[in-house]
Amino acid sequence: MRTGAARYFDGRTSARHDVTLELAPHALVIRDGAGVIVDQWAYIRLKHLSAPDHIFRIGLRKNPLLARLEITDMELAHEIDVLAPDIDRTGASARRDSRRVIGWASFAAVTLVLSSIYGVPLLADRLAPVVPRGFEQRIGVATNAQIRAMLDKGPAGRPFTCGDAAMEQTGKAAFEKLVRRLETAADLRMPLTVAVVRRAEANAFALPGGYVYVFQGLIDKAETPDELAAVIAHELGHVAHRDGMRAVLQGAGLSFLFGMMLGDFVGGGAVVLAARTILESAYSRNVENAADRFGVQVMLGLGADARALGRFLQRIAGDTPGGFSILLDHPTAKERAAAINAIAPPQSRGVPLLDAAEWAALKRICAGYRI
Amino acid sequence: MTSSDAGSLAAAPGPVDQQRGNVRFLGRDRPYWRLLARGAVLLMLTLGIYRFWLITDTRRFLWANTEIDGESLEYSGTALEILLGFLVAIAILVPLYIVFFLAALDVGTAGLMTIIAIVALALIGQYAIWRARSYRLTRTVFRGLRFRQTGSGVHYAVCVIFWWAMMAITLGLAYPFAQASLERFKLGHTHYGNLAGQFEGSGFRLLLRGLPLWFAVTAPTLIALSALLTVDWAGIGRIMQRGGTTGDILERIAIQAPEFYGAIGLFVVAIGFAVCAAIILFPAFQTIVMRWWISGIRFPGIDVSSQLRMFDVYKAYLRFIGYLLIFALAMIVVTFVTFALIGSLFGSSAESKFAEMFTILAMVGLYVVSALGLSTIYQATAKLSVWRLTAQSSDLSNASMLDHVTAAGTAGSPLGEGLADALNVGGL
Repeated sequence: MRTGAARYFDGRTSARHDVTLELAPHALVIRDGAGVIVDQWAYIRLKHLSAPDHIFRIGLRKNPLLARLEITDMELAHEIDVLAPDIDRTGASARRDSRRVIGWASFAAVTLVLSSIYGVPLLADRLAPVVPRGFEQRIGVATNAQIRAMLDKGPAGRPFTCGDAAMEQTGKAAFEKLVRRLETAADLRMPLTVAVVRRAEANAFALPGGYVYVFQGLIDKAETPDELAAVIAHELGHVAHRDGMRAVLQGAGLSFLFGMMLGDFVGGGAVVLAARTILESAYSRNVENAADRFGVQVMLGLGADARALGRFLQRIAGDTPGGFSILLDHPTAKERAAAINAIAPPQSRGVPLLDAAEWAALKRICAGYRI
Repeated sequence: MTSSDAGSLAAAPGPVDQQRGNVRFLGRDRPYWRLLARGAVLLMLTLGIYRFWLITDTRRFLWANTEIDGESLEYSGTALEILLGFLVAIAILVPLYIVFFLAALDVGTAGLMTIIAIVALALIGQYAIWRARSYRLTRTVFRGLRFRQTGSGVHYAVCVIFWWAMMAITLGLAYPFAQASLERFKLGHTHYGNLAGQFEGSGFRLLLRGLPLWFAVTAPTLIALSALLTVDWAGIGRIMQRGGTTGDILERIAIQAPEFYGAIGLFVVAIGFAVCAAIILFPAFQTIVMRWWISGIRFPGIDVSSQLRMFDVYKAYLRFIGYLLIFALAMIVVTFVTFALIGSLFGSSAESKFAEMFTILAMVGLYVVSALGLSTIYQATAKLSVWRLTAQSSDLSNASMLDHVTAAGTAGSPLGEGLADALNVGGL
């Protein structure tokens, strides 16, 4: 019977025992210096443990004690390896396990990516309509406070909202009339707060909870009441579809999927950011198209010029978008105008939504202060 | 000759350079490089899910090749354990985040809630670090016995937050005392079998050693801040409010507040000095702290000492910088070739959707490769070298005391490790 020397730790104390191993048919027999049997380890229970290259270290599976054998005689190690089913020093089973791990991990990664592309927007679409209005209002109030603080860069003492100074009152009245007409046509059935603010950019946006912001720059660039109305109608589409709430839900879903599950392996942050940007802009391009369609219906309902939005967008955007178009969260003005024209019949100009005097007053809604 | 050499079966091959005591590190660079490089590729392919396996592999390597008094350590943790711990942590943290979010909405003052959330998360983070340490210790087997940790993680977390506050108040001067106190807590609750650890490093001695470094970094920082204080900010604000183009504003500042440019110049130079000093002195700082820490470790009858030399640590960092430069050059070439290829295949990105998509993909891909490359090089050079140097320069007096320890304790839970990962506060 093959025998050899080994070092043995019994797991009860840290004492080193120099022992003789005997390779019996079913078990390793461990004998101390005097030849007394100290322990017997069945081959089927042996497990290979990590150790430096020149040492073969084994233990017993399901053993409450951490008993260890250390063998430096590599021939002996090889014979034990042959006898013990779970020990595989060539690394073949380790490689098999590792391949399985890589396979599953890759599968998990693919699943995550697919869920983020398809699952998250679907879930958000399902959840947004059932979120209680009161909850959305709260989110709206919180976001609104933050957005205002971010946007209001004017000197202290200058009101951020237009229409409260004495000379702005008539403009405000005209603006409110326009919004009321749009709101009635849109049949929103939820609170709506529309404000004109002192910012030079030609922009407008909607927040959760029915907050809509129109920038002074947009009113400056609008040539007809219908153009301005068309933009507001588009934003009302966002309010009606609860897109703000949907964006919050999508953001939370993506944060969870990417931020929590993937952890932060080095460089992962960039992947997450890029993926989020691309995904969120992809989601929101669809959302924008839906809001455009809503806006067209509202304008048609008022007998106003439904094509005004496309025209206006193309004028303020020009036709060359800057940067990467897959990163844009709005479709290009050209695409949008084409889509709008496809569903909006060309209008024999009906009655404009505001008369010339009202429109002139509205144009001066922010005249009280220099921007 | 130590007592262990007589009893060892075969002398282990291994580096004997730098070795001053009965602790050795046998690990070679090449297998570790291989392990890390393969891990980096798999991290990329699995979007980081492979990290549990990579962490486990690196620990196995480092532990197995660290030999104390002729006997190497064994890391017995598994990747599945920490993956499970991570999933449990997610299950705990997600509801917590939701509660924070709802509370922020209810209170309406996002600011206050944010502060509460940050403090709470900092506490949970430190608690996680404590529990993760417990996991690592109970998965460390030495001579058939495991290490373990007692003590309360909450207590530890509160102590850490307290010391952070002290460090902030004292511009970092409290750091040595914080370290001494926290290490006393950590090692006082560390056990090897029935041996209880202790820490005897003195905060005051660390302060004396580190004071020159602290001055080298803090003095320029203070100069920079005082330079900013000399500026009449209200006046600058008034000048800004009058508007006009940037050129106009700068011109007006030059006329009305001429001291502004001098102050800003001094600020930039001083901050530059502080940053350079911090970078250049970092290896020295690391050496001082490491030597102080190792030399403070005590087990009953056993004193640990460290002869770690600053020169060696600097050499390790220089090697890291050398590799880094080679890698950076390679990345520049690869980037150039990639974009040239995209350009020639698809034309410019302004024209085609394809070019645009590939450009973005290439940008993200190159960034990830750079970041992972950087971290791999750092771990395989600087980090491994410092580990090796620390081991090779340490010595245990009375190592024969290790012969009569009896077993105690059971394996700890991997939850801490998972929490630490989910909160991105993981250690080694």
